[in-house]
Order: sequence, then structure tokens, then C-alpha cells
Amino acid sequence: MADLVAELGEGAVLTEPAALRLYGHDASTIRGDAPPVVCLPRTSRQVATCVRVAVAHGRPFMARGAGTGLAGGAVPTGDPVVIVTTRMDRVLHLDVPGRRAWVQPGVLNLDLDRRLAPHGLQFAPDPSSQQACTIGGNVANNSGGPHCLALGVTSAHVLAVEVVLPDGEVVVLGGDGPEPPGYDLRGAFVGSEGTLGVATAVLVRLTPLPPAVETMLVTFDDLDRAAATVSAIIAAGIVPAALEMMDGGLAAVVEDFCGAGYPRDAAAVLLVEVDGPPHQVAADAAVVEAIARAEQARAVRGAADDAERAALWKGRKSAFGAIARIRPDYYLHDTVVPRAALVDVLRQVRAIAEDCDLLVFNVFHAGDGNLHPLLLFDAREPGVMDRVHSAGRRIVEVSLAAGGVLSGEHGIGLEKRGFMADMFGPADLEAQARLRCAFDPEGRSNPDKVLPGGSRCGDLAGGPASPGSAGPGAGAGDAAEAGLWV
Amino acid sequence: MQDARRGPLGLDGDTLAGCVQCGLCLPHCPTFRVSGEEARSPRGRIDAMRDVEWRGAPVGAGFAEAIDSCVGCRGCETACPSGVHFGELLEGTRHALAAGAGPSPVGPLQRWGLARLDRPRLLRAGALALAVAQRVGMGGVTRRRNLPLLPVRREPLRSTGDDVVLLTGCVMDAVQRDVHAAAVRVLTAAGFGVRVQPRPGCCGALAAHAGLSGLAARQVDALAAGLPAGVPVLVDSAGCGAAVLEAGRRPGAPAAVVSLSERAVDISTFLARELRRLPAPSPDAARPVVAVQDPCHLRHVQHAHECVHEVLARYVEVRALDDEGLCCGAGGSYSLRHPGEAAAIRERKLAAIGRTGAPVVASANPGCALHLAAGGATVLHPVQVIDRMCRTGSLAP
Amino acid sequence: MGVSAAGRPAPFAAMDALALEVGPTGPVAAVGGGTRGDLGGALDAGTRTVGAPQGILALCPEELVVTVGAGTPTTELEAALAEVGQMVALPVAEGSTVGGTLAAGHSSLHALALGPARDALLQARAVDAWGRVVTAGGPTVKNVSGFDLCRLLVGSLGTLALLGEVTLRTRPRWRAGVWVAGVADPAGVLAAGAGPTALLWDGERVWAHLAGHTDDVAAAAARLAALGCDAVVDGPPPLPPHRGSVAPSTVGELPAGHGGGFVAELGVGTVHTQRAPEAPAMPRRLHELHCSVKARFDPDGRLAPGRSPLHGVRVTG
Repeated sequence: MADLVAELGEGAVLTEPAALRLYGHDASTIRGDAPPVVCLPRTSRQVATCVRVAVAHGRPFMARGAGTGLAGGAVPTGDPVVIVTTRMDRVLHLDVPGRRAWVQPGVLNLDLDRRLAPHGLQFAPDPSSQQACTIGGNVANNSGGPHCLALGVTSAHVLAVEVVLPDGEVVVLGGDGPEPPGYDLRGAFVGSEGTLGVATAVLVRLTPLPPAVETMLVTFDDLDRAAATVSAIIAAGIVPAALEMMDGGLAAVVEDFCGAGYPRDAAAVLLVEVDGPPHQVAADAAVVEAIARAEQARAVRGAADDAERAALWKGRKSAFGAIARIRPDYYLHDTVVPRAALVDVLRQVRAIAEDCDLLVFNVFHAGDGNLHPLLLFDAREPGVMDRVHSAGRRIVEVSLAAGGVLSGEHGIGLEKRGFMADMFGPADLEAQARLRCAFDPEGRSNPDKVLPGGSRCGDLAGGPASPGSAGPGAGAGDAAEAGLWV
Repeated sequence: MQDARRGPLGLDGDTLAGCVQCGLCLPHCPTFRVSGEEARSPRGRIDAMRDVEWRGAPVGAGFAEAIDSCVGCRGCETACPSGVHFGELLEGTRHALAAGAGPSPVGPLQRWGLARLDRPRLLRAGALALAVAQRVGMGGVTRRRNLPLLPVRREPLRSTGDDVVLLTGCVMDAVQRDVHAAAVRVLTAAGFGVRVQPRPGCCGALAAHAGLSGLAARQVDALAAGLPAGVPVLVDSAGCGAAVLEAGRRPGAPAAVVSLSERAVDISTFLARELRRLPAPSPDAARPVVAVQDPCHLRHVQHAHECVHEVLARYVEVRALDDEGLCCGAGGSYSLRHPGEAAAIRERKLAAIGRTGAPVVASANPGCALHLAAGGATVLHPVQVIDRMCRTGSLAP
Repeated sequence: MGVSAAGRPAPFAAMDALALEVGPTGPVAAVGGGTRGDLGGALDAGTRTVGAPQGILALCPEELVVTVGAGTPTTELEAALAEVGQMVALPVAEGSTVGGTLAAGHSSLHALALGPARDALLQARAVDAWGRVVTAGGPTVKNVSGFDLCRLLVGSLGTLALLGEVTLRTRPRWRAGVWVAGVADPAGVLAAGAGPTALLWDGERVWAHLAGHTDDVAAAAARLAALGCDAVVDGPPPLPPHRGSVAPSTVGELPAGHGGGFVAELGVGTVHTQRAPEAPAMPRRLHELHCSVKARFDPDGRLAPGRSPLHGVRVTG
């Protein structure tokens, strides 16, 4: 504690129990214990110091951004030193013609977009939490969002990451060029949920804002037709900028809440957005409309201007606000299934919810099969949490059985650690553990996340200690030499 | 264990249960923006309240500090997807602390001061003393407490009729009479006779924000009792407007208070309805560029900030800020009690104003105006903008 | 392995056979078409070679994925996808295999629009250093379950595991494209926002590939013609043999170092040069990290011995 205060200053180290308790959880339903100390560094060098001090005292460490994660990735385990990146909120260097920027991990996703908009650029990953989540969090979770169907998830938009390794040394993974030498450690780091080290600066790739956009709200009386429309759009050679589906019940609730023009009595609605060069967009929009009508869509409503487009999206984004009036709590699930299996899985999800006596609504990124069942409940009801978790387990099982994966956006964290063995075999998990051990042989960085217990470095067959690995307390001199953002 | 019984803070269980800890409020909270700390965010404050109400945590100095550090801007309410009434939780907690549930930051001097807000002569004397002191070398002290140069002279204010009543308030009447004078001129020019109260009284906003709800209730009750009935009550202070609006919802509020909250309307909302009656701008008059700051109590509580933009657009080129109404840090008495934080929060607002390129900013709240002016901005009340454009065709006084 | 609702895919006979062939010990390397055997240093003499399974296993255009044996020729994959109006973001060359292309990790000439090769691999079934089949990634276009080993494998030159079957992300094939060229300022062309899929520069001339809707292509061509790229050509210029990677914003410095002997991919930073590029520098700790990864995945160094993605790197610090 004293070491941390000496290096960071009193205002940057939290030790008061009431304040520490607030860091015992993130935005998921998983609660952990209050960590022993929370640090709020401002520079890469200070982060490296936090890590070194933690290691020198034999403690693990854990990074945290805004704490909006839904899988428990930022829930403290093992009494770690928590390193909060919220004060590292500067854009370090913006290169408009080069379409890239070095940013600190605490920059908020939407703040970055706002800063870029006057230059005609954006940072493509747009998770629903984008107004609050940090770039560092996006990197840790390999975040997606509705617009990732065409543009790709965070990994496709990160060129390099400056990382404080679990031994306190600082390296830059990836680089400014397209094919840096060696392995794609940058790619391995993105989505590693804070288990390989702490990102202290990120070189993000910026995407030009599209010249033309068309947004349409399509109403269906039949869920199968809605799903068929999604497949048909893809089969027609169109990859929309966004392709969101909401079940009819949610659309009705949303309409009651914010009057965005959604139908109250449909089976499903589709929000389709196509963007790109103007003629392409016009042609694609026409094809989408034709397909929708061929699939007996009840209505196709295109946005005439930006204001109307914002109104259509408002409906989609108001989903949480709308359901809050029905029940005070919700559990947002996250699975991915092949698009062809979407309707079938949806039916099974509804059956599970009914079986567990819970309300469920569904919103999904239909374009990439990313399903988000929303279970509604009142947490104060005795015994309800057991039913909620049971429903969650069964939803995961159903998704895997349909040929899907465990998570499309939220990550594994603590929430789905227990399911990893259902998706991956022992050799697969071992391979993942090897990656982790190469970075963190002693398991100090956000321990107990992602991989189920038992995948420890010592248990792995073979594997001598990495040659010449530096011990704790190694200086950061090399970092400055390498031109890092310390 | 969470249950519906009220704990030491006496908060409503359903209201407290509504938060799902999603964190979407964080970027809209000024104290979170400048500190990066969970305890200084709405989510963290609610979680701390739950620790006390539901989980038996002690009401210690840390908790009191977390609650006291909140500006009370309610920007989190606008952002919350679950519709949590944070303002209700905050004032309830402050009330409990002030009543002795735990260490309260509201000291005896502050209580004395808040109880004296309905004494106009006392306020005027105090303001005059400060104004003089600022001019004989104490300017630095008051600047650190986020106060700009206060006026020494005060215009007389005269009624021009009985169509509407203008609520002149307490602090605003003592130090910003010129805004009230401009309001009277504008309303009169639009054909409305304005009654100005000789002994206005206080709406109770500052007391309510400090958790002294008993005092706040007494103050607003006295104010309402002294107002003529049946006519619209115009308010040119966003903070007072919000307080008056919410006073009517208090269980057991007297009929006069309920009537007041129904008749009270922000002056810009009123003018927006009567736009045709306002003097037309001269067609070849230059349209100066004016940035508009949306006071939190106008935007997040009254939801009436767009009327200001609408009315001003008739006379000047309006530039909205790009920060979604993030608080400026004035917060009633916040800038006096937490000058460092208030100044840090102000930096962000000044930067947003700077990004518009406008040399002048319009603010419909006296507290915000004083706070921004102390930070170097040139601030006018929207009615002052209209008044000056009508009388001189420019923003010159 | 189809992406059907019938259940999770069972191990294919071909993968088991590959695993048996690789076995648990002894030096071994995968060989594709042998077109880029020069990458990463020469294999140790006496290294046994194996070939990955070939053939299209599952083509699912509506799911935007395709699963193939890693030994499948890239030309065969391209043809099969073209039939359903799709393509992948990998370079296609006579003689090269899908697995080899992924192991080399080089992106196509159209990376400006398609993205790098590493973003194309969704799931891989590979044989590890212990001769076991491991699965990395997942069969869907969106997946954040566990660590992203697929990205680790792309460009790894077969030194961490041997690719057997891969599932790739597909995209609609673009409609008729056209190459235009002319003497123009590279910065100006890049900033013109004409949406080219490839932009090449040899220090003097700029080549641009435009594809998409006919009217958009015509508009883009006109914009580029105004800047100097006014000739329609058959294709890109011949590419010099060596390949380097620079920050795209530094492409302007290339003529000073390479004279006329280079072709650079604008906006991407891949440079094709006559002269071999300078050895890239790598800080000591980073080099250790790469070596540590290799040591964990292949403690005995039996996979592709002698070959390494770190070949020729100059360790600094």
C-alpha cells in the first residue's frame, strides 16, 4: 500500500473500505469481494509500477475500465490489486490521413467517435454500451456491436497494443506496419480479457464514415419469415452495415416506452442498415425491400433523413429502458448460433423461460447469429436467482448443441468459465492455457478468468520456463528506448 | 439480503432496487468524469446506499463524503435506461444524514445561512459587502470559491401589470437584478404586464439539496402563500423552476404550493409559446453567435431546455454544446463547498463552449452563470440576450 | 463439418490421419504447394514433411463461412466460391495452398478493402506438437469464446501447430473491377475517398483497382482520372520479389531508400522491393515473449525446426 502511494500519490490509491466495496463487482450479476486496494494511474509508467508493486508483494492484479462488462471479467478474484484505467482518458496522437490513433485505454468508445466525427472517421466497434465502455475494455473483450457485421470486431480495428506484462516490463504488440515480424501476439492479446497483462495504449484503426446510408424498419407477422429474410439478404450478396432483429413482444414494449414507430402487434421486426458508395447503397436497399416483400413483410419503412434514422435506432437502443418498467432487473445473455438455427433456438429459449417461470424478450444481431435473450425478473423475489442461472445454463447448452459458440460479445469472464469444457476439448483448453502461460507463467494477471481451474501452467506437459525471463523489479528503461507511451 | 423494509436511510426499496448497475450513467456524471472513481458516480453512490440500507454497512465518513461530492445535477436520470430516480435517492439520503443518521457535511453555519435565504435585506447586505470586498483586494479569495465580480449597484425593479408574476427569488435578486430587469422589459414588450413581489422569499431549492427538507418545505410554503393566485408564475432561474415544480409533488403540500407548481413555468418555455408576440428582430441586424449552456435543472429535471434554443434562435445564431448537457459544476452551493472539483468540472464545460467558437454563452440559471463567469466566460441570461437584441440590435448592454 | 443444427462436428477421419502421421515425436513440418519455402529460414535437414487434407468440406454462403482442408489449392477454393458469388480475403496464387497461405500470413493485394489475412480465419483444426488434434476458434463469424488462437496461428509458419482444416470467413464477390493507372500524387489519391480495393505506387505511377456497382466505379474512376490516373490497364504492375512492412504514413520515404525498385501498397504499408529489406528490430523483452510462446507450444522444437517467424530479426536493448 505504502509503495503504491509513494509512487502514484495519495489521490490515486483508494484504501477506504466503503470505496473498495464498490469495486467488488462489474455490470454482471456476479459479486466478488472488495479488493484490498484500487489504483488509478494516469500513465503507462504508473501502470507498470502498480504491476511491479503487486508482484513484489506476491499479489495478483486486475485491470478495470468502466466496469460495464457483463461476464464478470472485472470481478476481483484472489484479492488482486485493482488497476482502474478511467483516468487514462487521453487521445495521445491522432493521424487523420493515416487513419489511425494512439489512445489511452480509459478513452470512452463514444468519446472517441465524437472526437473523430469532424474528420469523417469513426472507430468501428460500437457495442450497445459504447457511451460508457472504454477502449481498453473493448480490447480485452474483443467487443462487437451492431455494426461489426460488415466491418469486423475490435481485433480487426486494433493495430498495436502497448502492454505491461505480468512481470512489469512494457512491450508493444503488433505495430504500425501491416505485417510485423513474429507471431500475431497483438491478435492473441485482443480478447484475452485481461489475463495476459494490462494494455496501456492502443493504436486503433479508424474507418472512414460511409458516403451513403439507408436504414429500414421491416415488420413481420411470422418469425420464420423474418429469419428467412435475414438469410436471403446475405445470400443475395449483401452484407448490411447492421441487421438487428427484435421479437414482437419487445417491439411492443419499446413502442410503449418511446414511440419510435415500432409496431405493437408484430411477430418480429428487422432493422436493416446498408452503407457504402451511393449507387451501391441505393441498389442494396432496393434488393432488401424486394426480399422483405417477397417474404410477406407487413411493412417496410425507410428513413427519409438522419432524424428519422436516429428515431429508428432509438427504438433499438431503448430496449433496456423499456423493459425496466416491467421488471426491475434483467439478465442479458449472449450466444451465437448459425443463422439457419436461429428460429429453432429461439423457440427453445422461449420454452426454457416458460419452464423457469421467467419473462424473456429477444434482441439479436441477426446478421451474425448473435442472440441476446433478455430474462426479466425481480432480484428480491426469493429463489429467483437460481431459476435465472438455471435458465442461463440451459440456453448455453441449447446454443452449443445447435452448432454455436459460448459468447459473441460479452466474453467468458467468470460467467461462462464453467462451460468452456463443453465447447472445447482438453487438448484445446491446454493450447489456450499454453498461450496464457507464455505471457503469465505465475498466473498473476486477472487470475481465475476464462479458463476453468486446472489449466494451470504447472499442469501442462512439458514447457520449460521461458528463456531469460526477467524477474520482478526489472527497470522500465527499455520501454522509454522503444519509444513507448510511458 | 435485499428486502423492502426501510433501512437507516429511509429510502424507498423499489426505487433503490431499480438500478441494475449497468454503468451507462457514468459518462454523464461530472464527478465521475473528473475523478474516474466509482464512489463518485451514480452507480457507485447507489451501490453505497444499498450497502447501508440492505447490507448493514456503517454510515461512515467515506459514505457521507461520497454522497456530499454529488453535484445533484440529475444528468444520470436522463441517461439511465432503467429510469432510476436518482434525485429522490440522493435527497432522501441527504435528509437522513442531516437528521443525524450519520456524519453530515451540512454544518451549523451552513444551516444558519440556508435558513436566512428568505431575508432579502440580509442577502443584499451580504452581497454588497462581498462586492465591495472584491474591489478592495479580496477578489482572489472569492475567485477561488468560484465567484465572479459581483455588482455593487442594483437596478430598481418595478411592476408593469398583473398578467404574470415574475419570481425574483433570493440570491438571484441580490446579485443578478439586471436579469430580472431584462425579463420584465422583454415580457412587457411582448404585451404582458409583470408583477414583481416586494418580499419574494426563497423556493427552498438550496435547503432541499442539502437534505434539510423540513426547512425547504417551510420556505416554499411561505413563498407560495405570498403569491397572487390564478396567473402564470414565470421563473428565470432553472434551479428555482425545478424546485417549484417538484414541491407540488410533496405529500401533504398545501394547496397554494400545488397551485404554484402547476402555474409555474420557465420563462423561456413561456416565451416559446408566445413567440409571435415578441418584438421581431430587425431584418438587417447582424446575428451574433451565442453558445447555449443547458442548466441541469432545466435539461434533466424540467426537460425544457429546447425552448431556450428555440426562443434565442429568433434573434441570434444558436450553437448547442456537444457534451449532452454534462453539468458545469455550479450545482447550487456545490461550487462554494467543493471549489476544486467544481473548477475541474467547469474546465470541461468551458472546453465545450470553446469548441463552438462562440464568444458569448447563454445560461438560464444564475448559479451556472456566476460559476462560468468566474471561469472567464462571458455569460448572459437568455432574457438578457433577447432584451439587448431588441433594444440595441446587438449584445452590448 | 457443416454448420447444421444437428450438433457439434465430430472429428473427421482426415484430421485423425494427419495427427497419426505427425505423431508425438520427431521433427516434422507441413508442406503446401512449396511456393514459399523460403520464408522464415530453411528447414533443418532430415525434417519429415506431411501434407494437410484437401477438399472443400462445407460451403455455406448464407452463413458467410467455408470450411476446407488446409491442403486445398487456393485456386480451387477461389473457383468454388466464385460459383456462389463469394470470395475470401486471402491471396490466390498458382500452386499455393490455403493452409500455406495462412501459415505465411501474407495478405492479398486488395488488403485495403478486404483486410489482412489474419482476419479471415475463424476456426482451425490443427495438430499440436504432441500429435493431438486441437480446435481453435469457432465456426461462426462472431466469437469471443476463450483466447484467439486463430490469430496466433496465422503467420506462424507452422511452428506452433500444423493446420489441417480451416473455416474461413467469406464475403460477396465484388462485381466487375477495373484497374486504372497514371502519374499521380499518392497522398492525393489516398485522400480522394474513391474507395479503391487496392492502391499501388512505384514512386511515380499509381495503380488503383476499383470494384462494385458500375455507377460508383465510374464516379470513382472519374475522380482518380482527374488526379492523374487516367489510363485503364490490364492489371497491377509486376511485383518485385522481396516483401516488407512499413507504417503506411512513411511510404513517401521509400523512393529515398529504394530508388525505383519498389511497389508499395498505399494505405496498407506492405512494400514489394527489389532489394531485401533491412532486418526488422525487436526489443529484447518482446523477443523473449515470442520465444516463450514457441517454447510453450513446442518445447522440443520439433515443428518446422530451422524455420521461425523471428528469422532475421535484430534483437535490440
